[in-house]
This record gives sequence, C-alpha cells and structure tokens, in this order.
Amino acid sequence: MNNNQIKNKRNIKRFIPPFMRKKTFAYSMLTVNILFITWVVVTETGLADELFLPGPLKIWQSFIEVSTEGYQGNTLFVHVFTSVNRILAAFIMACIVGIPMGVLMGASKIARALLNPLIEFYRPLPPLGLYTLLVMWLGIGEESKLALLFLAALPGLIIATIQAVQNIDPVYLRVAKGLGASKKTILFNVYLPAAGPTILAGMRISLGFTYTVLVAAEIVAASAGIGWMIWDAAKFLLSDVVIMGLIVLGLTGIGLDIFMRFIGRILMPWTRYLGP
Amino acid sequence: MKNILNKVSKTLFGSLSAMTLLMMTFPIEAFAKPKKITVGYLNLVNAQLVTKNLGLIQKEMPGVEVEHIKVGGGGDMLRAIAAKQVDFGGLGNPPTAIGVTRQLPIDGIMVLNMLDFVEAMVVRTDANIKSFKDLKGKTVAAPFGSTTHYLLLQALADEGIDPSSMTILDLRPNDIAAAWARGDLDAAWFWEPNLDKAVKRGGNIFMTSGIMEKRGYPTWDVGVVMKSFAKKYPEYVEKFVKAECAGIDFWINNPAKTAKIIAEELSLDLEDATRMMKGTEMVPCKKQLTSQYMGTSDDIGGFADTLVKTSKFLVSQKRLPKQLKRKDYEKFLDPSYLEKVVD
Repeated sequence: MNNNQIKNKRNIKRFIPPFMRKKTFAYSMLTVNILFITWVVVTETGLADELFLPGPLKIWQSFIEVSTEGYQGNTLFVHVFTSVNRILAAFIMACIVGIPMGVLMGASKIARALLNPLIEFYRPLPPLGLYTLLVMWLGIGEESKLALLFLAALPGLIIATIQAVQNIDPVYLRVAKGLGASKKTILFNVYLPAAGPTILAGMRISLGFTYTVLVAAEIVAASAGIGWMIWDAAKFLLSDVVIMGLIVLGLTGIGLDIFMRFIGRILMPWTRYLGP
Repeated sequence: MKNILNKVSKTLFGSLSAMTLLMMTFPIEAFAKPKKITVGYLNLVNAQLVTKNLGLIQKEMPGVEVEHIKVGGGGDMLRAIAAKQVDFGGLGNPPTAIGVTRQLPIDGIMVLNMLDFVEAMVVRTDANIKSFKDLKGKTVAAPFGSTTHYLLLQALADEGIDPSSMTILDLRPNDIAAAWARGDLDAAWFWEPNLDKAVKRGGNIFMTSGIMEKRGYPTWDVGVVMKSFAKKYPEYVEKFVKAECAGIDFWINNPAKTAKIIAEELSLDLEDATRMMKGTEMVPCKKQLTSQYMGTSDDIGGFADTLVKTSKFLVSQKRLPKQLKRKDYEKFLDPSYLEKVVD
C-alpha cells in the first residue's frame, strides 16, 4: 500500500461518524439486517397475511406517497413536525418546572415532604385514564394534548433531579461554604455542574417516556400528527400506513435522543457520563 | 450428553404420538361445540340489547359461555375483528365496505337494524346553522370511519361544499358528548344514547340519517361472523341468528317491555328510551330476505348495492385503495342461515 492509498483511506474514514467505526456497530447492523431479511422472506413467501404485514416495498411506496401527496390533507413532514412540536413544547415546559422543583426537593427536606405526595400519587396513573379528565377540563384542543405530554415528562425529571442533587459529594458543599461562597455561587458552581450529568440522563429518559405517550395524546380530536396518522389509518385497515408511521415514529425518537445527547455535550463538556 | 438428548427426544416423540392418537379417536368436527363465544355489540339502540338482556343467545346454546363486549363504533369493531377478538360483531355499511374490500375473513349474516333518526346531526342552537353551507368555518365532529362520518361527507359532497372549509374532528360518541358539554363543538353527527345529551345541552337536530336514506343513502348495521367460526360451527351461527331474530320479534311485539330493557341497559329514562327506539328500524327476519335488504342466496339484495356505493365513496376519499365489483360484495352477504331460521 503506498502513501497515497493510506491517505485516501484516512480521508474516507473521516466521513464515517465515530460510532460507525466500532465493532459493536457491525453487530447492531447484523440484528437490523436479520430482521429485515425475515420481513422480506415472510412477506414474499406469503407466510404473512398482506392485510396485516405488507412487504417492505409496499411500506416504501406508502412512505413516498404520504411524503409527496400526504395523508388526509397533510404531508408526512407536517405530521412529524406537528408531533415533534407538541413533544418539545411540553418537554421544555416540563424542564422549566421540573428541574427547579427537583433541585428544591433535593436540597430541602421540607420541600420534599410538601411536594412528594402530589408526585408519587399521579406518577403511576396510566396516561389514558388521566387523559379523559384532561379532555373534560381543558377541552379537545392543543391544551389537553400538551398537558398530557407535560404530565408524562414531569415525574421522571423531578425524580432524576432529586437524586442528582442528593448524590452530590457533601465535601464539595463544605469546601465551597468554608471558602465563603454565596448561595448563588453554590447553586451555579457546585449544585448544577455536579448534578448536571444525572439530570441530563433523567431528561433523556423522560423525553423517551413522553414520546411513548404521543399516540395516546393524539387520539382525541387531532387532525395532524404522526400518532394521529397511525391511529386513523388503523381504523381504515391501512396497515402499510400504520407500519410506515411506526418506523418513522421510531426513527424520529432516535433522532430526538441523539439531539438530547448533542445538547448534553455542548452544555456539559466536562463529562462523558451520557455514554453511547 | 447424547444419551440425555436421546431420552428427551424419545419422550417428546412418545407424548406427541400419544396426543395424535387421542385426537384421532375424538374427532373434533363430530362434537363441534365451541367452549365460548364472544359477541361484540355496538353501543347503540337496537335489538341486540334485548337479546343480550333476555339471555336469548345463552338459551339457544346451553353449556356454551356467552360473552358480550360493548364496542364504541365501527372503527373499533373493525379493529376487534381484524385482531380476531370477537366471533360475532356488528358493523355499519362504511366499516363493512372497508372490511370486505380489505378482505377481512367475515360473512354478513343478518340485518341488525336500519338507521333512522337514532343517528342525527345535532347543531348548537346559538350557532345559527340552517343549512350545510352554514357549517363553513365551524367545528364539526363525527366518529371517523362510521356511518355518520360517511353521511356527513356525502351530504357535503352533494351540496358541493369543500370539507376543508370547516374543522371536522374525529371523536368517539362519548367524547363528543363531553366536548359538546364544554362548548367545543358547533355541530356533531352521531348516535343515541349520547346524541340526546347534546340535544339537551343547547342543541337541536338539523339532519337525520333517515332523511339521508330517502335521498338514496341508506345506512344500516349488519351482523357479521368470523369465517373461521362459521366453518367450524355452522349450527351455532344458525343458533345465533335465531336468537337475534327472537330479539327483533320481541322488540316489534313488546315495545313497552323493550323500552324498559333499553332504559336499563343504557341507564336512561324510560321516556328517552322509548323515543330512541322509534329512531331505529328493526326488520323482521322474514322481511330481511327481500330484495331491499339481504335478498336470498340466489339473488342478493340491495345491501350489496349500498356496499358498492359506500366503497366507491371511500375510494374517492382515499380511505380505501381500490373498489371491488358487486359480486365480491355479494359473496360477503350470506343469507343462508337466515333462510334456515325463517323456514
């Protein structure tokens, strides 16, 4: 191999993201490929009823069709955009409320005792049960949908933040106090940097959970959104649209997670806690 | 190690062959009797409530467990059928058209009811809606995929009104009632027993499914059976039809008692139940075999035409990928059980 070839190889390598160079990535691809091949075989040989499991080609066609012509008045992009908007709006609101609440509850026993009953009670409630009430209170518009997503996001954030704050090494606090740091300095220079990584991990999990509630939130009186599209298509037995929607839903979820990790790396470059 | 494997395979083989022998000595077909049947019934006012309340199906099938599952609307019923969660179900003509065109393994065996003013479009009195044109810019609800959604879009198409000029929302009947109570909706086309709640809270009836029938768009619910069940237990399909026919006869002959049953089943006042009953037309089983309804095995009746018309409309709405021929819809309708029961 001459120098030029080696150089070329390096150049190519530069375009492949780091995670794809790992051996584990190859194993992951193996799983994906096996799944895909099974899908092709099962549908091509007629083992699966086409009504319930259409082949990959059918799904691709429906992807193209919904992307260009749309499903019931909106293109796929609009459906995804509407849903991601709902999720992010609700999630950001939940962060604004949940993280300070968690810091407060982690730092003060009284605050924890005051707020705990509230959170512990509604946390295990199934979202759909809660939703009926939300629709009665807030109506069938965006408010009830956002409220449901908000309530789904909140407990995970609060609990992660409480834990993050409680796990801070007390030595840090003592040293800061001993050196005469003000409360504000302690909050911004001790609490947040030390608790940050755990809070971010909590945010990732919470966002994932919020995402799982999406279809439920879009069942009642929506006319756009990827969750609604899946729900509506199921009513008309359009299984190609349903499966295509689920794949898009999954990929969007992965996209959101990567986005969260990216934010974490920017906000907290001192930690590699978030991992792969 | 090899020894163990050998033993395992021998025991496995032994027990398997024993089971095969057992199965051969007791042929299932000869005793064809289901352990349990599941009847999905629609949450509306028809004689299935009478059949259920009087336990008529149970009387026809001693020793068989009969389970009734209440299903909100046609869209949900279609899903229950696709998932094989029911043996018998009821479907309006649009979900039927969808199911048959998508080749769901079901047969239509009888007329459950014809829909008159039990399904109607209620409009908020202060919204001042006097014609379909007045709906522009308003919020209208209907359960998507159901008979009333179909009639709403059909009526708009006939009047040349673009559905996108208003907000049409997909809500289930009980959600419509809740949203109506909050004042979120200007109009809704759905059915009893929830329809009445909207009328009582500042609404009035603007259009009924009965009027649409006179305009050439009949809507009905048909009783369906899973093909696999019908093949395995044909006598039990007959028993089911016999029980439902008895329920229909009871409805026609004992209106006062029926009203009491409806009131009990749906937790309604007797007065409301009596009025709602009049909005549903029950067809005696003998009459179901005439050309207006199911027709006979040799000459399938008007229901096939309704299915052709409905699916044509759904194709134009992009809710169905393709249209089938009349004879495909004829194949779905199977009056043979009715014929045996009526004779």
